[in-house]
Amino acid sequence: MSEMANTDPEGLDGVRMSWNVWPRTKVEASKCVIPLAASFAPIRPHPDIITLPYVPLRCKTCSAVLNPFSRVDFAAKIWICPFCYQRNHFPPHYSMISETNLPGELYAQYTTVQYSLSQNPNPNPNLTPTLPPVFLFMLDTCMIEEEMGFVKSALRRAIGLLPENALVGFVSFGTQVQVHELGFSDMSKVYVFRGNKEISKEHVLEQLGLGISVRRTGGPGYQKGLPNGFPNSGVTRFLLPAGDCEYTLNALLDELQTDQWPVPPGSRASRCTGVALSVATGLLGACSTGTGARIIALVGGPCTEGPGTIVSKDLSDPVRSHKDLDKDAAPYFKKAVKFYENLANQLVSQGHVLDLFASALDQVGVAEMKVAVEKTGGLVVLAESFGHSVFKDSFKRVFEEGEQSLGLCFNGTLEINCSKDIKIQGIVGPCTSLEKKGPAVADTVIGEGGTTAWKMCGLDNSTCLTVFFDLSSSDRSNAPGTVNPMLYLQFLTSYQNPEGQLMLRVTTISRAWIDSAVSSEELVQGFDQETAAVVMARLTSLKMETEEGFDATRWLDRSLIRLCSKFGDYRKDDPASFTLNPSFSLFPQFMFNLRRSQFVQVFNNSPDETAYFHMVLNRENITNAAVMIQPSLISYSFNSLPAPALLDVASIAADRILLLDSYFSVVIFHGMQIAQWRNAGYHNQPEHRAFAQLLQAPNDDVQMIIRERFPVPRLVVCDQHGSQARFLLAKLNPSATYNNAHEMAAGSDVIFTDDVSLQVFFEHLQRLAVQS
Amino acid sequence: MAAFLPPGAPRPRSGNDNPSQPPPPNYNPNLNPNSLADNLNNLNLNRPPSMPSSAPRASPFGQPPHFPSPASLPGVSVGSSPFSRPGPPPGALSRPAVPPTGPPQSTLSPNVPPPARSMGPPTGQPSFIGSRTPPGYFPSSGGTNVPPTYVAPPPGAFPSSGFPSRPVGSAPPPGTRPSTASPPLTTGPALPHSSAPSGYVTNGPPAFMSGASPGGPRFPPAGSAPPPPIGHPLTLGSAGAAPQAQSMRSFLASPAVVAPPGPPAQPASPFSAPPQGVPPPPGSYGPPTWPVQPGQVGPSQPLSGSVQPPRMFGMPPPPLPNQSMTAIPALSQTGAPVSGTSKIDPNQIPRPIPSSSSILYETRQGNQANPPPPATSDYIVRDTGNCSPRYMRSTISQIPCTADLLTTSGMQLALLIQPLALPHPSEEPIQVVDFADIGPVRCSRCKAYINPFMKFIDQGRRFICNICGYTDETPRDYHCNLGPDGRRRDADERPELCRGTVEFVATKEYMVRDPMPAVYFFLIDVSMNAIQTGATAAACSAISQVISDLPEGPRTMVGIATFDSTIHFYNLKRALQQPLMLIVPDVQDVYTPLQTDVVVQLSECRQHLELLLESIPNMFQNNRTAESAFGAAVQAAFLAIKSSGGKLLVFQSVLPSTGVGSLSAREAEGRTNISAGEKEAHKLLQPVDKTLKTMAIEFAEYQVCVDIFVTTQTYIDIASISVIPRTTGGQVYYYYPFSALSDPAKLYNDLRWNITRPQGFEAVMRVRCSQGIQVQDYHGNFCKRIPTDVDLPGIDCDKTIMVNLKHDDKLQDGSECSFQCALLYTTVYGQRRIRVTTLSLPCTSMLSNLFRSADLDTQFACFLKQAANKIPSSPLLQVREQVTNLCINVLLSYRKFCATVTSSGQLILPEALKLLPLYTLALLKSIGLRNDGRIDDRSIWIECVSYLSTPLAIPLVYPRMVAIHDLKQKDENECLVSPVIPLSSEHVTDDGIYLLENGVDCLIYIGNSVDSNILQLLFGISSAEEIPTQFVLQQFDNPLSRKVNDLVNEIRRQRCSYLRIKLCKKGDPSGALFFSHLVEDKNPSGPSYVEFLVYVHREIQMKMSS
Repeated sequence: MSEMANTDPEGLDGVRMSWNVWPRTKVEASKCVIPLAASFAPIRPHPDIITLPYVPLRCKTCSAVLNPFSRVDFAAKIWICPFCYQRNHFPPHYSMISETNLPGELYAQYTTVQYSLSQNPNPNPNLTPTLPPVFLFMLDTCMIEEEMGFVKSALRRAIGLLPENALVGFVSFGTQVQVHELGFSDMSKVYVFRGNKEISKEHVLEQLGLGISVRRTGGPGYQKGLPNGFPNSGVTRFLLPAGDCEYTLNALLDELQTDQWPVPPGSRASRCTGVALSVATGLLGACSTGTGARIIALVGGPCTEGPGTIVSKDLSDPVRSHKDLDKDAAPYFKKAVKFYENLANQLVSQGHVLDLFASALDQVGVAEMKVAVEKTGGLVVLAESFGHSVFKDSFKRVFEEGEQSLGLCFNGTLEINCSKDIKIQGIVGPCTSLEKKGPAVADTVIGEGGTTAWKMCGLDNSTCLTVFFDLSSSDRSNAPGTVNPMLYLQFLTSYQNPEGQLMLRVTTISRAWIDSAVSSEELVQGFDQETAAVVMARLTSLKMETEEGFDATRWLDRSLIRLCSKFGDYRKDDPASFTLNPSFSLFPQFMFNLRRSQFVQVFNNSPDETAYFHMVLNRENITNAAVMIQPSLISYSFNSLPAPALLDVASIAADRILLLDSYFSVVIFHGMQIAQWRNAGYHNQPEHRAFAQLLQAPNDDVQMIIRERFPVPRLVVCDQHGSQARFLLAKLNPSATYNNAHEMAAGSDVIFTDDVSLQVFFEHLQRLAVQS
Repeated sequence: MAAFLPPGAPRPRSGNDNPSQPPPPNYNPNLNPNSLADNLNNLNLNRPPSMPSSAPRASPFGQPPHFPSPASLPGVSVGSSPFSRPGPPPGALSRPAVPPTGPPQSTLSPNVPPPARSMGPPTGQPSFIGSRTPPGYFPSSGGTNVPPTYVAPPPGAFPSSGFPSRPVGSAPPPGTRPSTASPPLTTGPALPHSSAPSGYVTNGPPAFMSGASPGGPRFPPAGSAPPPPIGHPLTLGSAGAAPQAQSMRSFLASPAVVAPPGPPAQPASPFSAPPQGVPPPPGSYGPPTWPVQPGQVGPSQPLSGSVQPPRMFGMPPPPLPNQSMTAIPALSQTGAPVSGTSKIDPNQIPRPIPSSSSILYETRQGNQANPPPPATSDYIVRDTGNCSPRYMRSTISQIPCTADLLTTSGMQLALLIQPLALPHPSEEPIQVVDFADIGPVRCSRCKAYINPFMKFIDQGRRFICNICGYTDETPRDYHCNLGPDGRRRDADERPELCRGTVEFVATKEYMVRDPMPAVYFFLIDVSMNAIQTGATAAACSAISQVISDLPEGPRTMVGIATFDSTIHFYNLKRALQQPLMLIVPDVQDVYTPLQTDVVVQLSECRQHLELLLESIPNMFQNNRTAESAFGAAVQAAFLAIKSSGGKLLVFQSVLPSTGVGSLSAREAEGRTNISAGEKEAHKLLQPVDKTLKTMAIEFAEYQVCVDIFVTTQTYIDIASISVIPRTTGGQVYYYYPFSALSDPAKLYNDLRWNITRPQGFEAVMRVRCSQGIQVQDYHGNFCKRIPTDVDLPGIDCDKTIMVNLKHDDKLQDGSECSFQCALLYTTVYGQRRIRVTTLSLPCTSMLSNLFRSADLDTQFACFLKQAANKIPSSPLLQVREQVTNLCINVLLSYRKFCATVTSSGQLILPEALKLLPLYTLALLKSIGLRNDGRIDDRSIWIECVSYLSTPLAIPLVYPRMVAIHDLKQKDENECLVSPVIPLSSEHVTDDGIYLLENGVDCLIYIGNSVDSNILQLLFGISSAEEIPTQFVLQQFDNPLSRKVNDLVNEIRRQRCSYLRIKLCKKGDPSGALFFSHLVEDKNPSGPSYVEFLVYVHREIQMKMSS
């Protein structure tokens, strides 16, 4: 609880763990039910993080970086690595070190420091040229004119926001892929690739005239444009500095038409998203290694042509549903996923990012493409229309600079060092395993595992990863005296910041070992229920995607019951005697809401939506993730300050305004009375200023939420009994349903559902937890 | 026009009447006034000045030059400017009106009108037809109009002279051919007397004398009106009397090749005048052309040996008269014995004598098929039941009753069909018949179309099909009573019942889809070579100029693409601010980058197109891509127009080196590996693999017709490339080595003619024959998917299809055998039409009749095509041997079965085929049958032959040569292309300038000691040293230069080809090239003409005796 009250629970380090005190043994750990996991935001900005303009010292055996937990022998100029206990000599330039003259990384409070690896003002910029970021826009043209208009204007605005030196490329696609050569001045010129044939990177390069052979002979004759610090100058025909090609791009957008290939009635437009991605990837392949580049795919519908197809062109053939996936009745699914996996691997090997902006009423294949987005650390936004603020504002946010900037970084690599006996199972989140084996690699794999290093082609300020740990099975806890009572974890994140500089962030944390057999009290105190809920949610979604026939609800229930059985205080077989330690008290409620959430309930959600929710869940920080699981509800009324309200249908009242934040959507719900007054226009009358303020208050709060969030949530403003009110009702605890409508308070509401209410859930939980 | 209304609504035909309005409803392909007519005119030599109506047509070649008219001049001269538009400044010359032109060009202008015929003939020789025959031989002087009228000569010419009949015939021209006439006609030509030397004797001498007297030589006084027609030297004399006489002799005795054993070449002929190249000057009217003939004539007579080739083309072998053909025209060698030494007088051996004037020809007279005039002559056809020979002609004008008879004759039986051939401007246009919804009446069994030879019986209620013999019910709406003569009473009003060629409006049943729009897709090579040699610029400029010639209207669609190692399409949609370039980089597996908008309505994209064409050369100026993805580009362009079909015009400059269908420089491989190269040399003339063929078949299936303009400096493997046009009904234009200076004009004119000539799309053609005969196979540029039909994605007036026939039964002697060609096609204005061409020929069981009715031009065209077909698949020696044997076998058969009584020492040639040895020799020396040439040159020759029309077949191997240094001496009235010089170096002098043309190339040879004055006048240079390698004909302000320009333009018109003009000088490769065309000379590729005759003679003797 205390932690939750903290406005910055993640602190300097950006790390939150499900257990802040670790049991000593694997057996004990497994008894804890909730896995040992850490949620880690690799480059979350924090005002207190210092940046050191030099290269860090590394342990010569385990290559962990010198950190505040190292023991330093100032006299001998030696430091002992806390991970492997290796004694390392300080190099000569550390000779000035003393107890009173510590380098930044040794300050106890600087458990997280940043090293700027390329900041040395190099007199010769040619040696370490700053590589401008590359933005390759990939626009779907199979859409109606209106949508096209929206997306074009969004693009225009985005291009205007790009830094002058950022390189821009443009690819449009429909039935075929068109790569626009922006550097050709005589007329608009595009390279057209067929949409129904898989194409390798080599072919793309060769056919664009960027192939090796062509390069050797000096490239296709009629190229213009100047080399821009790029070794392969050919690619500058396609990628131009934003400042140079803004006009061209705008003209191009003006002329760009929707796909001209005819669509027979009863058919879907033929859209070769898969090939377009291959081509875009291939094109970026011509960039020199280390270039931070992202493909920004704007997709308006499902891929129906060529590799990566997710549905047939026949409109009578609906896009696969969860049911189809369960029954293996989605003929395209596996093939498409395979295709996008290969694509993801190629992107990862090039270090490039795929961002997916999908706007369509039907599914577009996010479920299939998820792998490519997630592995490359790309952004994903799913909206209903390119005209919708969810897309528009989110898209704008990507390119905005300043305080709200996403801080898009490239080419990140994460390495984790940990104390002996700690094994890493894997990471859930936007990254890819680099398959770096080591003693710290666990046998079982969760998510991206089998490694101690991960690649994050793209990462931003809010990127968050969940690392799952395991303990070595060798049981050494019998000799507690000889072992260090503390465990250490070190996260090393190197990346290229938006300015193109190479940075390395080192976060070293320490937690205590505890012999849970001896003292479960401490263990309980170390439990972070919010983090635990999120970890469970992420683990559940992972299992849903990877385990055949996984029953998420049952698994969650069972885990919760086990947890309650272990940590609850009760008398056997006496449900009434059941109580939970405050450290656990909120957890069942999280689980209750998780069970009902879109993460677990696929009914009424498409596979695309589910994939989207999972992706966002996996990459957000704990606080936001917790909101996704259990929305926050704030009530506004005349008589009190805005206050959190119970997430219960009982919170509805005619004279209240409720603000529900469920992360993906934000709902402002006007009670019946309020709605009537508003409709009567009272808030426009000077004598009802208070009412106007009341009306305005939730809007101001919503704006704050929206400003900070990416993707921008969907804002729903609704009235009690209005049709849009369902967005609120779906999230509330159905304590009042038509079954017990007579009990309800005046002005309240009922929810028409057979779902169990929280109370019923608890009753069952208690009963099952105390069973012997 | 005639109203032919069928039951349904008659469609008014616009014949000449309404010139204007082209496209609409009844646009009649050819006839049509404007465009067509024009075109026609251009072609024709003599366009009668008279026809105003025709006026406005587009001359195929823009050259304005021909017309003296002032305006034009500039154009012509233009030559100087690099390419600038070819000839005529667009505006001026182009189609516009030639009206003015008309007159001017034909010098004679005045009378000419076709009808006039009457006047001419002093002789009165009426039957023009018969008379006409000779044309071949006659020295036709310029083709000027003279024509019809003259018919006269005939009698004379023929041995027939003797006949009294002639006179009869003489009467009225065509119209009259009353029954009586019949005999005459046929007979006319026929040489009754045959052999009788005496006969000719008589004629001969006198005649000549008179006529020839002055110059002696040139019989062929050209242009002058009356006389000329006759052709024979004799004729010169003058009308009446003359004719008769001469003719006689000619036949009989015609020149003999004497010599038994091989007396060497040409000793001076005893009699003849000395063969000097230059004829006596002024004396005669025209230029003195062949010195030769004249000479001999005179003297020779006495001896049987004389030479004169008389003309007989139309051998009228009426059965009746005497069939003894024996004597007929044999070129006998005179008694060798006599002379003792065997000698052949080179001046007396048979040579073609161009006919000067137009002949008026009725296709049937007296209810009998009239043998057609030689294809190379100038004639005006009146369709009186059989089709015009322009559309369809048979190698033999009578059909042998049995296969054995045909085999015995050694001749071929084949039809040469040119379904959209250009008519003569004075001919009545083809009538269009609209049966409305019912569609054309057809035999219900064999599906033959109604034609004049279907016999109505039973009061018109039923009719018997002349093709299969089945009796059908007459459709009720089509019923008409029969008149006393057994013909339907309305027969003369219904074109389909009285014309050999009509066009039916096709109903829905003839369409699998709406008639396709006129789609033109231009594909231009922009690889480094093409850009640097100026080929791209030339192509763009040509296209740009030709855009205005595309058919007007919303149905005209245009697209354009360029290619190097990738393919660049252009989106020309108007809404776009500027064209959008769409690149298709995958040349292994191509596709079209847009479904629509790559091909756009012309009216919507005219401006864009012009802009684009202007900028293409600049845009690719620095292109360093040497690779060319020709096959892929063609395939991609095909995909772009696949949905509609259309014409694909490709401009290609280098060997396709990448992408689908890429080729290798296998010619070089052949050269380096001599042993293999020698053995399999002909393999290089075959397509390298099936890739392009497979593609082409698919193109054809989707009605895409591909024409390729090859503007190259190197080997490009025409053999492989040409498969595409050949299969799709297109053709290859070859500019090698491409010259940015002189070729753009030709490129433009070729392109313009390609687009403006009468043509059709998505066509299907089938030939039906009467029972007893069937089609064996078809040859030409088309795609064949089922045995009976040929598919022609494109068909135009220049394309000819050879149809080989075979017997499957005996025919009845005395009956007639019909051939019907039906061509279903879509006009450029989107009407679906069926052109039905019917020819009905008598059957005969007499070998002599076959020889008499052999059609030399057609037979030779067949030989030529067959030889060309074999070249790629057989060793060259074998082909040469086959060609020689074909000739020998025919002559042998004649000698064996038809020539009576002659000493074995004589070489006897059937009159109709007396030039066969000469042409055969020429063929043996042609590019295709030599192996010293470039592979591509041979391939292009083969490709060209495959669709070559009959009239152009002979010039291709036996070119026409004229002296131009003395043109100025000629009379204004003379025809332009007149005295033709035998192709022998004897006739080429060092102080002369000669123009030699074969319908494709035009070589101007400048002797070493030509008067510098003349050089200055003609070429603006002062000495032979300054002769440029690249030449553009200019017109200078002097009469000689004007004459030459007129001459060249006249030839262009005749050949429907702009001709590549090249200057040649002695001691230079160009000179060698020139001399290689002189087929009568002995050279590495073959013996001299005389030697060849001797060889043939010997072979025959050997076979006779064996």
